[in-house]
Amino acid sequence: MKRIKHNHGEGVRIDYYAYASHIKHWNATFKVFFSLVIMVICIAFNNPYVSTVVIVAMAYITIVKGQLPLSEYLRVLAIPTTFILLSVVAIIFDFSKEPMGLYHFPVGLGYFYTSKAMLKTGLYLTLKVFAAISALQMMTLSTPFSEIISVMRKAHVPKLVIELMNMIYRYIFILLEVSTKMKNAADSRLGNCDFKTSCSTFGSIGANLLVISMRKANAYYDAMESRCYDGDFLFYEEDRAVDKNLIMKAALFIVILIIIGCYTRL
Amino acid sequence: MNFRQKIIFTSSIAIAFIFGITPVTNAMHIMEGYLSPMYCILWGAICMPFLVWGYFSIKKTVAKDRKSITLIAMSGAFIFVVSSLKIPSVTGSCSHMTGTGLGAILIGASSVSILGLIVLIFQAVLLAHGGLTTLGANTFSMAIAGPLVSFGIYKLCIKLKVNKYVSVFLAASIGDLFTYCVTSLQLALAYPSEMGGIQVSAAKFLAVFAPTQLPLAIIEGILSVLVIIGLETYAQSELRGIGFLKVGEK
Repeated sequence: MKRIKHNHGEGVRIDYYAYASHIKHWNATFKVFFSLVIMVICIAFNNPYVSTVVIVAMAYITIVKGQLPLSEYLRVLAIPTTFILLSVVAIIFDFSKEPMGLYHFPVGLGYFYTSKAMLKTGLYLTLKVFAAISALQMMTLSTPFSEIISVMRKAHVPKLVIELMNMIYRYIFILLEVSTKMKNAADSRLGNCDFKTSCSTFGSIGANLLVISMRKANAYYDAMESRCYDGDFLFYEEDRAVDKNLIMKAALFIVILIIIGCYTRL
Repeated sequence: MNFRQKIIFTSSIAIAFIFGITPVTNAMHIMEGYLSPMYCILWGAICMPFLVWGYFSIKKTVAKDRKSITLIAMSGAFIFVVSSLKIPSVTGSCSHMTGTGLGAILIGASSVSILGLIVLIFQAVLLAHGGLTTLGANTFSMAIAGPLVSFGIYKLCIKLKVNKYVSVFLAASIGDLFTYCVTSLQLALAYPSEMGGIQVSAAKFLAVFAPTQLPLAIIEGILSVLVIIGLETYAQSELRGIGFLKVGEK
């Protein structure tokens, strides 16, 4: 697969991989519920062993079963790193007037210090977050969004919300294409040569994007109306058979996770 | 290399690693798996009344004028795309707008809660920003608290006859700052400090995220003003259509 640099087509990329995934044919409802259950187990146990097992298992499913290139998987996992680094720093360091804890170093009026318990919290948290994220990515990198929406429809999310999501999902890609074109047009005319220019470029792109989206919205409504739209979207959904074998394996995996979690309770 | 040089070398590599590998600073989405189940449910429950209000508000608008459904959906897509655009930044890192403040000013505070929720789901699934178990907390800080403050400040400024651009700037940037404060508070509630409790912990989270969030709030304010100026130049009829400008107003 072609490597693309950070070009704000990530949205298109995750969706693109979902369509290319080799486990796309797994039943969508199964994938959504499986990943939700694993996420809940991760955050409920907050146990480093459970988290590690989940990270490895999800990587196996996504990379080996789903045939996603390792580099792309790591790139997607790396997206939240800034947030995790910053928030873990806030958790593992504390401030006090007197020197205390395992390590401490003086700053101005007092000491920054850290203790073993705080380092442990930080490490467990990092593992837990990565485990939950890999469970989420297992689902998103193998299930196209339209199928996730149909799972939500089956879960009785209000019709209006489903309808809006279906529309927004389609409009996002149209607007992304328009905004990429505008950005390239601006770049080729030195629209981002310095900070001030790029601010005004951003303003114009944003404004024109809204104008275009409003015009398109009217055109789309007319197009839908002329095709007898009456408030219901009916899409063709491929019927993906539920693989009993797969459900057994998933149930076994979940039971193993719970056993590990209970036995190594910390 | 002597010892001192080694330390400097190692720390420079560490800095390069931290800032080089992860150049994406987005608005503060709490990541998947970060909160314990209790807080996931708690924040979801707090969001409920606002979401129900937003749902009925959208339902009423659609019942009155069927055509508005595509407009509402397009506004949602617009918020998503604006929040995924790379914004100009001084430090060279790449950051994104929240977009919900601008959305609240343009389309009103009530429908922005539902649209914000949908946009957050899209961001979690398509961009890997935020998550599903933390959806409640993120919805509260980004789609409810921030936009409501933005909307309130904007209306207040208009009442007080403050210049329109100044009010848009204040609304967008203070809304963004408020989101940042609420998120820090949410993180602090989930991970209180051993010694000082929630207050100290909140101060720590505020301090750690300040270098990325404060400039972002200012830039978000400026960009929102520029978008509004652009819209008033090109799109007066569309602005009347979504109710931002009253008929006859220039």
